[in-house]
Amino acid sequence: MNTTIVAQLQRQFQDYIISLYQQGFLDNQFSELRKLQDEGTPDFVSEVVSLFFDDCAKLINNMSKSLERPENVDFKQVDSGVHQLKGSSSSVGARMVKNVCISFKECCDVQNREGCLRCLQQVDYEYKMLKTKLQDLFKLEQQILQAGGTIPQVDIN
Amino acid sequence: MQRDSFSVSIENLPDSPMGSNKKMNKVFDKMTQWVTPWRSNSESPRERMILRGDVEQDEFQYASSHCLSSYYSVFVVRLAIMVMLAILIGLLTILTWHFTRIYTKQSLQTLAYGLRYELLQRPILRMWSVLNTTSELTTAQVKLSEYVIRKYDKPTTQEELVEMYQAMKDVTWTLFASAKALNAITINYRNGFVQAFHRDTTTSSTFYIFSDLKNYSISGTGPKDVNGWNNQTIHGNMSAIWYQQQLDPVTGAMLGKPRRIPPDDLISIAGISQVPDGEASWHVTVSKYMDSPLLSAALPVFDASNKSIVAVVGVTTALYSVGQLMRDLVEVHGGHIYLTSQEGYLLATSTNGPLLRNTSKGPKLMKATDSEEWAIKTGAQWLQKTYGNNLPHVVHAENARLGDQQYYIDSFYLNLKRLPIIGVVIIPRKFIMGKVDERAFKTLVILISASVCIFFIGCVCILILTNGVSKEMKLRAELIRQLDARRRAEASSNYKSQFLANMSHELRTPMAAVIGLLDILISDDCLSNEQYATVTQIRKCSTALLRLLNNILDLSKVESGKLVLEEAEFDLGRELEGLVDMFSVQCINHNVETVLDLSDDMPALVRGDSARLVQIFANLISNSIKFTTTGHIILRGWCENMNPLHDEMSLNVDRKKPLAPMKTKLVQHRNHFQKSCKNANKMVLWFEVDDTGCGIDPSKWDSVFESFEQADPSTTRTHGGTGLGLCIVRNLVNKMGGEIKVVQKNGLGTLMRLYLILSIPDTVEQNLQPDFSKYGLVVLLSMYGSTARRITSKWLRKHGIATVEASDWNELTQIIRDLLETGSRDNSFDSQHNIADSLRAELSTIQEIENPVFVIMVDIGVLDLTTDIWKEQLNYLDRFSGKAKFAWLLKHDTSNTVKTELRRKGHVMMVNKPLYKAKMIQILEAVIKNRKRGLCNGIRNRGNGSDESHDCLEIDPTHYDTCSSDDSSETSGEKEGDKPVKSSTLLSPVLKNYLIDTTNRNDDSTSASMTRKNTEEEDWKDRNNRLYSGIALDGKNPKSLEGIRILLAEDTPVLQRVATIMLEKMGATVTAVGDGQQAVDLLNFRSINAQDSTQEQKSSEEETNVNPQSSSRYSSPYDLILMDCQMPKMDGYEATKAIRRAEIGTGLHVPIVALTAHAMSSDEAKCLEVGMDAYLTKPIDRKLMVSTILSLTKPSTLVTSYSA
Repeated sequence: MNTTIVAQLQRQFQDYIISLYQQGFLDNQFSELRKLQDEGTPDFVSEVVSLFFDDCAKLINNMSKSLERPENVDFKQVDSGVHQLKGSSSSVGARMVKNVCISFKECCDVQNREGCLRCLQQVDYEYKMLKTKLQDLFKLEQQILQAGGTIPQVDIN
Repeated sequence: MQRDSFSVSIENLPDSPMGSNKKMNKVFDKMTQWVTPWRSNSESPRERMILRGDVEQDEFQYASSHCLSSYYSVFVVRLAIMVMLAILIGLLTILTWHFTRIYTKQSLQTLAYGLRYELLQRPILRMWSVLNTTSELTTAQVKLSEYVIRKYDKPTTQEELVEMYQAMKDVTWTLFASAKALNAITINYRNGFVQAFHRDTTTSSTFYIFSDLKNYSISGTGPKDVNGWNNQTIHGNMSAIWYQQQLDPVTGAMLGKPRRIPPDDLISIAGISQVPDGEASWHVTVSKYMDSPLLSAALPVFDASNKSIVAVVGVTTALYSVGQLMRDLVEVHGGHIYLTSQEGYLLATSTNGPLLRNTSKGPKLMKATDSEEWAIKTGAQWLQKTYGNNLPHVVHAENARLGDQQYYIDSFYLNLKRLPIIGVVIIPRKFIMGKVDERAFKTLVILISASVCIFFIGCVCILILTNGVSKEMKLRAELIRQLDARRRAEASSNYKSQFLANMSHELRTPMAAVIGLLDILISDDCLSNEQYATVTQIRKCSTALLRLLNNILDLSKVESGKLVLEEAEFDLGRELEGLVDMFSVQCINHNVETVLDLSDDMPALVRGDSARLVQIFANLISNSIKFTTTGHIILRGWCENMNPLHDEMSLNVDRKKPLAPMKTKLVQHRNHFQKSCKNANKMVLWFEVDDTGCGIDPSKWDSVFESFEQADPSTTRTHGGTGLGLCIVRNLVNKMGGEIKVVQKNGLGTLMRLYLILSIPDTVEQNLQPDFSKYGLVVLLSMYGSTARRITSKWLRKHGIATVEASDWNELTQIIRDLLETGSRDNSFDSQHNIADSLRAELSTIQEIENPVFVIMVDIGVLDLTTDIWKEQLNYLDRFSGKAKFAWLLKHDTSNTVKTELRRKGHVMMVNKPLYKAKMIQILEAVIKNRKRGLCNGIRNRGNGSDESHDCLEIDPTHYDTCSSDDSSETSGEKEGDKPVKSSTLLSPVLKNYLIDTTNRNDDSTSASMTRKNTEEEDWKDRNNRLYSGIALDGKNPKSLEGIRILLAEDTPVLQRVATIMLEKMGATVTAVGDGQQAVDLLNFRSINAQDSTQEQKSSEEETNVNPQSSSRYSSPYDLILMDCQMPKMDGYEATKAIRRAEIGTGLHVPIVALTAHAMSSDEAKCLEVGMDAYLTKPIDRKLMVSTILSLTKPSTLVTSYSA
């Protein structure tokens, strides 16, 4: 009984994580992160991810403040924010966020405020999206662990 | 476009008739064409443009609207200039007209006025003089009469009276005769007696007229009072009888008898009535004898008492002479003159017309208005009409219109007492102003036509001028458009290149991953054969794809100008040797000889970008290999100093000729070059890649260097390739200040020649060639490949080493026997007939060398390896091993049994093919060393071969440590540790010593800088090696970074966390800080406190030039720093600079690895510039990071960790 639930949950987990990869929310770096998680650091992934989301919230807040006024936008500041965001998102493997960051950076380079605002909104949307998805994932993980199962290794490659 | 709409609108006009419509249309077309001349030209480019895309169309429209406005402005300017010109010319014309005409007119009018005045003045003066004369004569007559009458005062008798009359007659005659102009003189006495002299001008006879004396008493019967004395008494005195006596005009003698005449025929005789108040009186009379009016003056003659008038003297003068004068004047000047009395009666005219009119009562004076002369009549009528009866005294009318002609009419008033006279001059205007008017008209016409001409010429000039301007504007607009288009094109091309360059990381990483994963898969044992084949195939394809990607990215990087050439010292010869070694593996498979022929004067160390240099030759050689199925590939290199004399000397004769065209360019280049960097120690290095392949058609020699260009399109099918290789080569060569081209070659194949300009580090001593000649070495070269053999022997001979060549086993044995079997020497000479004479001579010279050291180089291919005969052959050769040193040339695929057999026999000198200078030198040096040792220690123990092999191995690292730019020695230990695994797992056939070392070096050079890419083979090996090491570290030893202390400076918490965990998992001790400032602070603080650390710190960089053994050192608290580039407060660059500054003098060099999200080589350059040692891109690739960290930290720790 228990094992079937675990197996079901595991399959569900696998499907879910694969769908995340396939939909392009995550990339290889995320699996790298997952590989780093072991007994020594059991909550490494969720820790890093929550760090990332905090970082995201902070950066997006900063950037939206910078972009608030229509004139005298400090693009340098925005640019550094985007740069950081890009670095951290690529490290976490948040592919969507990273991709938006790339176009965001282009907008920043040409000092296109409209584009920047659009990208900012997109980034905001993407990271929140990812956040809910990952929260679901972690919830699943918790369920599996509670059911006494192990987290299956999902190799996306 | 616009024109069309115009014409359409015109055609749509409903009311305009068709013909005129068309005409108008045409005119309009012409006008618009004239206004916008570009249109006529722009038709064809527009069509052409349309063929291109929308972008050009837009551009064109944009440009054309721009053009249009500029042309309209040109048109407006043109118009304005023309209007101004017209105004100017008009003004000029008017002014000229005004001045010429008005001034002429005025001056002429002044003149005309003078003339007219003169004209009038003269007849009036004449008149005046006539009057004067008349008056004087009258006065004289009066005085004389008074005198005579007083003398005969109160005549009492008839006789006395007659006497008095006679005296009067005589006196009067005298006067009359003296004054010829007089018409008549009359004396009318109180008693009624009349004496008169009269001249008839028509008959030119003179008469004396007198009345009959009988009727007159002395006292006078006539009325006494003056009032009764009137004319009527004279004429009415019918009783009086008048006589006329003709006189001789000169003498006054009487001619004939007096004739009685009727009173009708009498001339007018002045009576008392004419002097009513005793004053002189004037009046105009007429006479029937004369057709002109007469001027008569009358004066009374008073008696002695002066109280009563005794007689009246009348003098009559004809005005004929005035008329004559007028005629004369008019004859000269033209026009008409007439004189009238105040009443308007004509006195004199300039015409011959009658002045009197005949009435029934005799001739009467005529009014001017009634004159028969038309001009006078109309003139008088005009005057009357204009001024009425009260005519002003002076009239100057300039434009009196009489009939259809213009006249000048001037009148003057001569105020004579009792006889005021008015003179009128009528002159036709054309007489005076006619010429002027005519001229004026002509002048006007000429002026107008001239100004019109000038206007048109001006317009044409303006048109031409503005046409020039508009043409220039057109060209300028064109130019601007072109520039704009070019800018856009460049921008888009730049975007493309930039995009590609930016994508480099994103493109290469997945490919690397794919290949790496495939390698894992291949090394996996549980694959079925079919799967294995498929995976291998995928592996090949991936490699090909990666190579293609690398090519494209390299090209784009070069094109976008992002390629930054490194400036580092490297051993050129060694790089090329490694390259040739690598390719020889492929070539031997192809049965192609690979030969490296570098001249001795090539500098050992040069500064430049070694990876790019290797890439150039790798591309060229792989290209040659592709097209060469048999023969050889030679890589030649020689050097040319900047001194032109020197290079002439150093060049071979056969190289000179095809070099000529390139050399001229080089000379130009050099001139420029010498100026710019005279003191920089630059050198021109020449290279040739010579193959015996299919060759390139001469017409394609230039185009092969273009992108995607292959000499023969069909080669793509047979040989594959994209045609990017040579393009990259050319770009790189150009970037290094050189040039490449295909040159003419004798025989089959292609000869690519290029030169590079590289600087030589002036501190390093160049190229010390060992001197072998004194050792008495004799080398027997026994090699298959003739080209390599020839080149090697040539080089050996050049260095004074006796060399004998042998191409196969038989020849080898013969020569060995000749040289070494001293006992049977004589026999052998006889028996070996087939030895060539030259060889024989050579052998004999060798035999004369004292105490020779024989070195026999044997190609393993000379032995017969197909059967077991090679063992026999080996045994045969072994007999001579005491007398000679054997060096073996092995192939990469030589089997282990052969090698072990050779080693067993004590042959320790084994090198892989191909043989080149450096290997030869090593062999010779080993031989010499061996011999010295042999001389010292006596005969060497044969079984101790492994020691010798170590000797031999040691040659490489010691040799290269001093001069190599790579850190090969550090990792060699690690690699050697891997050796057993490697040789079993790797497909790449790596043998022992030399080649291993070379590949390791290449591996490290690429791992240190990620952007370096070489050809497939090298790449493959790199991948294998790296991957292998990665696997080894990951899989078998996860704690590969055990004991390494790492300082991580990273501001992003996510990255910081990830990197920390990643590193900690691998056993490293990580300290994380949030920005550069903290990192610097931490480092400074810790380095002060941690001086007593026992761990030895080894600097891995050559750049610092710190000798590891000799420098006093403090230990650093960290083995390595991972530095993010963009951080708040202090960024990575600044932090690195600060750290490096702090390190000065301490001898420390903490390796700093940059972490950046930028994947460009320019960023890399920046990182390296500020003193960082390596460069990692985000996201962090674990394997790459590990290998980088390991390569930078001390290898000895690793070795110990492995052994432990």
